[in-house]
Amino acid sequence: MNLRTTDREALPEMPNRLGIQGIEFIEYATTRPQALGQVLESMGFRPIARHRSREVILYRQGGMNLVVNANPDDVRVSATADGEAVISAVAFRVQDALKAHTRCIDLGAWSVASHAQAMELHIPAIHGPGGTRFYFVDRWQEFSIYDIDFKPIPTVDQQPAAVEDMSYFGLVQYIGAARSEDWMAYYEHMFDFTLIPDEERFGILPKGKLMKSPCGQFLWQLIEPDPWMEVDEAPESLKRIGFGVKDVAKAVKTIKANGVEFVESKELHPEDRGALTRSALGAVSFELVHQTS
Amino acid sequence: MNLLDGYGMDTITMAGPLEAKLEAMKSVGFSQVMLMARDLVGHPGGVKAAVKAIQNSGLRPTGFQVLRDFEGLSGHLHNYKVDIAKSMLEMCAATGSKVLLACSSTSRHATEDLDQIAKDLKKLAMMAIPLGIKVAYEGLSWGRTVNEFTTSWDVVCRADCPNLGIGIDSFHIFAAKTPLDAIEDLDPDRIFLAQLSDFMWHETPSFEERMTTARTFRVFPGEGVHSEQLADLVLRLERIGYRGDYSFEVFNDDYQQLPLETVAERARKSATWLHQDVLHRSAPLPVWAESLHKVAS
Repeated sequence: MNLRTTDREALPEMPNRLGIQGIEFIEYATTRPQALGQVLESMGFRPIARHRSREVILYRQGGMNLVVNANPDDVRVSATADGEAVISAVAFRVQDALKAHTRCIDLGAWSVASHAQAMELHIPAIHGPGGTRFYFVDRWQEFSIYDIDFKPIPTVDQQPAAVEDMSYFGLVQYIGAARSEDWMAYYEHMFDFTLIPDEERFGILPKGKLMKSPCGQFLWQLIEPDPWMEVDEAPESLKRIGFGVKDVAKAVKTIKANGVEFVESKELHPEDRGALTRSALGAVSFELVHQTS
Repeated sequence: MNLLDGYGMDTITMAGPLEAKLEAMKSVGFSQVMLMARDLVGHPGGVKAAVKAIQNSGLRPTGFQVLRDFEGLSGHLHNYKVDIAKSMLEMCAATGSKVLLACSSTSRHATEDLDQIAKDLKKLAMMAIPLGIKVAYEGLSWGRTVNEFTTSWDVVCRADCPNLGIGIDSFHIFAAKTPLDAIEDLDPDRIFLAQLSDFMWHETPSFEERMTTARTFRVFPGEGVHSEQLADLVLRLERIGYRGDYSFEVFNDDYQQLPLETVAERARKSATWLHQDVLHRSAPLPVWAESLHKVAS
């Protein structure tokens, strides 16, 4: 460091003790992988590879990887009701997967036992909300983890472009009543997420509490049931994915042409700031969020 | 609204099978129950059958007890306790209890460093978050380092975690003779449980005496010699804004050999005393009057 770059004030940097650098993949669990595949394809994803030993398919568009887990031996798949598809895992890119996993366990996370078969990658994981998991992946720069566990689907483009350069913007987590404080403490302590002020919101669904990853690449939204609602005993869950896009209107037009319907009501409809797709397969919906950079 | 709604009995007070205890509590009007791990693992039908019995009773779990000697250990002892804590948390969640009671450590192997104790409790609280459980940390009056609620509060503040709070137990406060003025320093939203009991002795100077009395000869609030202090404690808790549950943590060898209905009736009398004579809350209207009231409004 030379003198020219020295900060005038010693401002603390945002800690990122796991070295989180974005989302490597998001996983859905379902007993109806083809139906979910159709939904994903209409959103611009393409199936590009199959898992070597399990009923799992890798979808991709641009820099986004999405895994559809239909392995009947996985309790998270068999636990899905009536063929509903649910978000079952999020994999974070980290500096060192083992160190990240060890640190989280030391802080009180619950470890997930690995079921990797011979010659497959053992991706360390901890339990998340509901039946979900958080994976830690550190081999995302030098080579692709998918080359080990997946076989490419022949003749398919392995790097399909994203619709209007869409990328992962964030996840929405539904939580129990009066649980915001707990989950904020959890994510701050485990992953160094930081709270975004209530005045600062993105997209068209501003409810709840919003946290930012320490790498600044994705957001995490926590939504409690409204106080006036009947007692909502639904288990906590990862509800939907948000995609960041520069031009929401253009993306909506392209996706609509694929047959996707958007929520259009007086209160909620596609606009420049964002849009929400209608639920498919029970509760699968996606949010588009205007992103400037 | 039931007069007994804010009060509950602990299963530890009574002998007999879980179903009979739940039935006895319900029959005198209680709507909640403080559970212990032994209710589940000692059930002849196993944990699942016990959980079913609790659900069938319609009683709301006040909390689940008790995780002992968790904090302050290191190495293999710490790892062992983490495993135990996980099993306790899983059972707690299975019963639908939102509060796990953790008592301060009595272990000679545990550190006296309050920051390390706080760190361990924060880990326990983190383990509890995905399961939706709050941890109530209670200072046993014979705890090695933490033996008064003032110290357990200090540790909870150091840990600074929203689902970690304190459990208040009147027995330990009176046994340790902790001045009640310190109640004013507590944040009522971080008191996750208030356990009440009285006892018959005026003095319990040694840890040994406290332990024996605590485990064999507690009585219901209003039945012992500390009624006045107990009333003072409850009024102070009310004054700072505590609106949580009161459960009767009454270990008593005599009650263990009395008919369950007799013990439950004593608990009901105690709750009525607290409700009407101490807190001066009005008795609920009889059912016929309530329905008239509804018609009128």
